[in-house]
Amino acid sequence: MHPLPEELSEYLDGELPPERAGRLERHVAECRDCAALLEELRRVVLRAQALDDRPPRHDLWPGVAAAIGTPVRGVRRVSLPLPALIAAGALLMLGSVGLTLLWQRERPATATVAAAPATPVLVSQAASPSELGYAGAVRGLERELERNRDRLDTLTVRILEEKLALIDRAIGEAERALAADPADGYLSGHLTRTRMRKLDLLRRAAVLAHAES
Amino acid sequence: MITTRTGTDTLRTTDASSADADAVDAALAASGDPHAFERLYRRHVNRVHNLVRRMLGEDAEDVTQEVLVRAWQKIGTFRGEAAFGTWLHRLAVNLVLNRRTSRSRFRRLFVEEPETGLEPPARPASPAHGLDFETAMARLSPGARQVFVLHDVEGYRHEEIAGMLGINVGTSKSQLHYARMALRKTLG
Repeated sequence: MHPLPEELSEYLDGELPPERAGRLERHVAECRDCAALLEELRRVVLRAQALDDRPPRHDLWPGVAAAIGTPVRGVRRVSLPLPALIAAGALLMLGSVGLTLLWQRERPATATVAAAPATPVLVSQAASPSELGYAGAVRGLERELERNRDRLDTLTVRILEEKLALIDRAIGEAERALAADPADGYLSGHLTRTRMRKLDLLRRAAVLAHAES
Repeated sequence: MITTRTGTDTLRTTDASSADADAVDAALAASGDPHAFERLYRRHVNRVHNLVRRMLGEDAEDVTQEVLVRAWQKIGTFRGEAAFGTWLHRLAVNLVLNRRTSRSRFRRLFVEEPETGLEPPARPASPAHGLDFETAMARLSPGARQVFVLHDVEGYRHEEIAGMLGINVGTSKSQLHYARMALRKTLG
């Protein structure tokens, strides 16, 4: 007996229970029509997964920029509070760190120069300028926060301290793990993201304290 | 058996460095930096545009633009639990589906055009032989097309699709099978 038509699709998607899948496989081995149909459906799935992305017919950025109130070209002064500017600067540095790491990782595969062994991970080295930038941004935000700390209520301060302690613990663990396995891209990304979370939290707290002052 | 892409965790994955750059730019954009948002736009516009175009079955540049404006407005809610691309993707899907719902309501209220929804559609009027694959996709009924795009092109699971479209899993499966049966002729 032929399988139900939809069972062929379910089989392709790996969603058929093993017993029914086995029955279908035995049938397809003997039924040329069902085997041909199964192959056609398989080709459709593969084709769908291989579709190329086409760019829009024209650049949509000017329209987006206009809608969000940003000039397409030229410099717009962004008015941000000091803590936000500090955090943004630090995040930019982190971004450059990420790009540097990427460059360093890819370099051994593409470079023609027999260079020194790649040293791909930031935290395994002595503090780099980017690391110092991150640390400086954290210190700047902490100072800013400290100045207006008494403007925040006790509960906010307690929650903030708890969250910072958790994040610091996560950063420490990530740094230690990365020191043990400097080439691990996941750990590197995890550390970057965790540091960003700390900056973001400090930035928000500093902005809040600033607003209360 | 094909099991190369199932589930949102494998949705057209981006490499780690790109994800890091996205995370940095998303944080900057959330602080109001339009240049960071433009970088996000440059990295993601093609994928968003193609998702929207395929789901709507028509040129979709206005809707793509709307998705990106919405992303700017909502970027403060991006917390980094998922990749930025996944977040943006979901935003685009939701916007397309909301448009579908709004359009259906409009038709029911003002045009009185029957809304066929996700009922099994009629076969395409013209034979699919010789059609470009994407053109044939665009000729599917809206329900079958959306399920096909979300499942086979974008890698969502039936359970996720059912949740997004407000249908049951069985309907999602039958729409998908219908779409594949219709499209197989284009590859003949």
